[in-house]
Amino acid sequence: MRNLIWMVLACMAPWAMAQSYFGPGETKAVQGSGAKFADALLNMSADQLQCSLHQNRLPADATPSFLAAQKASIQYPKGDKFMGDWQKGGAIFNNLQKANCFSCHFGSPANLGGDVGPSLEKYGLQRGQSEAVQRYTYEVIYNAWSYFPCTVMYRFGVQGLLTPEEIADVVAYLLNPASDFNTKPALGGKR
Amino acid sequence: MRKVVLIPMILAFVGAFFALTQQDQPLDPFEEAMKQREQYLKTFGILPGDLFASQGEELFHTKRGPAGKSLEECDFGLGPGQLEGAYPYLPRYFADDGKVEDLETRIVSCMQRIQGFKPQEINRDDVVALTTFVASKSSKAKMQVVPKHPAELAMYNLGKQLWYTRAGPRDMSCAVCHDDHAGKRVRLSPVMSPQQGLGSEWPAYRFEEDRMYTFENRIQFCYASVGIPAPAFYSEPQIALTTYILAEATKAGHSFQELPFFTR
Repeated sequence: MRNLIWMVLACMAPWAMAQSYFGPGETKAVQGSGAKFADALLNMSADQLQCSLHQNRLPADATPSFLAAQKASIQYPKGDKFMGDWQKGGAIFNNLQKANCFSCHFGSPANLGGDVGPSLEKYGLQRGQSEAVQRYTYEVIYNAWSYFPCTVMYRFGVQGLLTPEEIADVVAYLLNPASDFNTKPALGGKR
Repeated sequence: MRKVVLIPMILAFVGAFFALTQQDQPLDPFEEAMKQREQYLKTFGILPGDLFASQGEELFHTKRGPAGKSLEECDFGLGPGQLEGAYPYLPRYFADDGKVEDLETRIVSCMQRIQGFKPQEINRDDVVALTTFVASKSSKAKMQVVPKHPAELAMYNLGKQLWYTRAGPRDMSCAVCHDDHAGKRVRLSPVMSPQQGLGSEWPAYRFEEDRMYTFENRIQFCYASVGIPAPAFYSEPQIALTTYILAEATKAGHSFQELPFFTR
């Protein structure tokens, strides 16, 4: 019985915290902007709420548990095959409607990149293809918050924006030495 | 009325015109917009934004609505009909309806109170044209949004809360781009913080979209482009974010651009 009470309380925690981020008057104001807008803003997940409350700068004492929870959310592709089809990965990387990686990262031979994120120019040639590099690259794309708490990069796997297999395709696009990403010059020349 | 007919005529040329002037080498977006602007002036002798402003001017002075009145009685904060320099003080608190309103919301509330329109009778295109006209009377003016009234302070605080809210399937907030990566580029577009003068260019004609964008249009576009359903026009979150952004830009001493602005 006691366990049940704790479970119910634990389930209510994100709701209770979301209520405290927006006060009652603010909640009402947000609801006045339409049901769909209110639904997105008033139902932050527990981790989104932490980033909102701390304005994207998690305090040191909150960081280890945050990172551990993010790491635990990662699901891996079948047989831990981190590198898939680089050509499919390129189509995902360079599609504005899909992963849209180039909007923030420089290095694509197909699209001029932005500089919100670090340059990925010749990523596979710089880092090699060790199992550790493959796993790291996969994990950052699946859940960037497992390494960089509250960063702007989308959590592609966690949020269901890409499947584990699609993420493995993008890993291959970045790492495979035969990939256009590593054989062709980045569009826009060296920055 | 002649000007109103001119708008669709001129806009009909825009598509072909835009295609003809595209470059192989991507230009800096600001330089590109300035180039397009010069082309417009050379070809048509007028900018699209100015056509919207003159449409708004006509609407402003025309007796309309169930009450058959013009908007000349509408007080934008400096007294009825005082338009010069009114926009930079908005959003602000208005005692006559007890609300904090941005320019667009103020126009809508005047259309209801003075002209007798019902909310569902108010045409968005009219509001955009009227907003463009009133804002054009404050071209290049210094921003003056300094929340003082308790309702203005509450609006500023709500805007600040919204600014930092991480939400939606892409975990986005305004701050995670516009503060944390200010000065960087998303593709070719520069990311600006309020402290760098974010918000100084609206209302603007966006030639890529071939549309007039007000501040509220821009906020809707922002949310929609990060996968969060856009907040409704004239709602408090719109006014709150506008208050927060313009108050921060005011603190940093920014002025508006030439209004209506011309941008990509």
